[in-house]
Amino acid sequence: MITQALRRVERWYSIPLLLLLWQISVSSGLIESRLLPGLGRVWTALATDIGNGVLPYHAAITLSRAGVGFALAAFAGVPFAAAMARSTLVRNLFEPIFFFGYPVPKIALFPIFTYIFGIGSPSKIAFAFLECLYPIVVTSYLGFRAIPNPLLWTAENMGTPRAIMLRRVIFPAAFPGIFTGLRIALPISIIVIVLTEMIGDSKGLGYYLAVSGTRFEFANVYAAILIIGMCGFVLDRALLLLRRKVVHWERNDLSENH
Amino acid sequence: MKIPASVQHWIVPIAILFAWEVLGRAALLPRYLPVPTLILAALYEVAADGELFRAVVISLYRVAVGFALGTGAGMLVGLGAGLVPGIRHFFDPLVGFLYAVPKIAFLPVFLLLFGLGHESKIAIIAFSCFFPVFLASRYAALSVGKLLVWTARNMGAPRSTMFFRVFIPAAAPQLFSGARIGLAHSFVILFAAELMGSQGGLGPLISEGEDAARFDLMFAGIVTFAALGFVSDRILMAIRRHVLRGQIIGTAEQLVR
Repeated sequence: MITQALRRVERWYSIPLLLLLWQISVSSGLIESRLLPGLGRVWTALATDIGNGVLPYHAAITLSRAGVGFALAAFAGVPFAAAMARSTLVRNLFEPIFFFGYPVPKIALFPIFTYIFGIGSPSKIAFAFLECLYPIVVTSYLGFRAIPNPLLWTAENMGTPRAIMLRRVIFPAAFPGIFTGLRIALPISIIVIVLTEMIGDSKGLGYYLAVSGTRFEFANVYAAILIIGMCGFVLDRALLLLRRKVVHWERNDLSENH
Repeated sequence: MKIPASVQHWIVPIAILFAWEVLGRAALLPRYLPVPTLILAALYEVAADGELFRAVVISLYRVAVGFALGTGAGMLVGLGAGLVPGIRHFFDPLVGFLYAVPKIAFLPVFLLLFGLGHESKIAIIAFSCFFPVFLASRYAALSVGKLLVWTARNMGAPRSTMFFRVFIPAAAPQLFSGARIGLAHSFVILFAAELMGSQGGLGPLISEGEDAARFDLMFAGIVTFAALGFVSDRILMAIRRHVLRGQIIGTAEQLVR
């Protein structure tokens, strides 16, 4: 009981310790800077802007944009990856675009997106879609390719029709790969949305953050960072939960490590 | 007749460029989408008067220094965290929380701390590189095969030999994976940071082209930036192949990522 509590302290002490150091250095007057408001002021900023609905409003916009972009990429990317894995023609045509395009910093294309889709939500969603599409397609494609052939041969030998093959054999066997791709893409969607909102928008957490920064309201900057971090954490946990539901036969793997 | 795979690889990219060129020449594309040949001409224009070269040097300098600092620190601390429980327990909760935050969110803080010049970009690039590299190195050091460690220890390998001849080589493939993610982050952060407030570099070149409605110049900057990111990744992968040549442990995994 006590050793367990001690172990928990040993594992989690660093965040409280640093917060304590932060507070001490501010309230003792050791550091006098607009960059480092006291924790009390951060808390007040957080509570005020949650209370008056400003932060929830911006967070809802950011989350819905990220969610739509991510969902579109998942619904388009996974079937596309399956097509790439199953058909030589599709693979030969599109493999270079995905494998050579992967390391290209796609953020460079964002200015073009703002011209094509306008500066509001559509360009951000389209851009999040593009950024999420790459890890989803590439990782699920590798997942589909990694299905052991004996699995397919056995099913084929027993006369399984194509539709059932896809639904009962190929998709379930590729699920771990698909989920890895989704898990890589999910935080990317939030990062990309916040980032593009910082570049230019009038709403969303990225906008809130950038505006607070230019007004030197750093208590609000830290409040926004806290909210963004929490959004990412909650979404990641939700995806892991979903994974455990869907891929119920595979329990002890990398997903437990984080 | 069957078209060979190597030819099929080129069909889609060439078809897109061709359609772009033809549609653009037929004035069917909006003004902000200049045709590829015009972009090439603009690329030549900025390259000829040295403007492109100066911008590339500035951007590359920021990315290189930031990436080197962040990756170096991430590997050192990450390997330390993998080997020493005390370090691991200190950094795990911090990284666990900060990893979920887009590092660009700290840009206002870094801008006020370091100004609009090189330092703020280098600092935020290093900061955002640190996390993926730390995580990869931490897991790499933790997952070094127990048999390898026991064998080396049994033969009386001193600590330094253990570190440099056992842990580092065994962890190397994952260290490279972490560095690769860090490199990708570096370019994203660089672009965003340069676009949001910067003196010199490719970001201002792109936004100047945009402001002057010289979309061919904007595209020239974009193409250059994309090419820089791509080539850097290829170079890192070439180094990885060279360093890991002949190594079996841990290199069987994926080629991409």
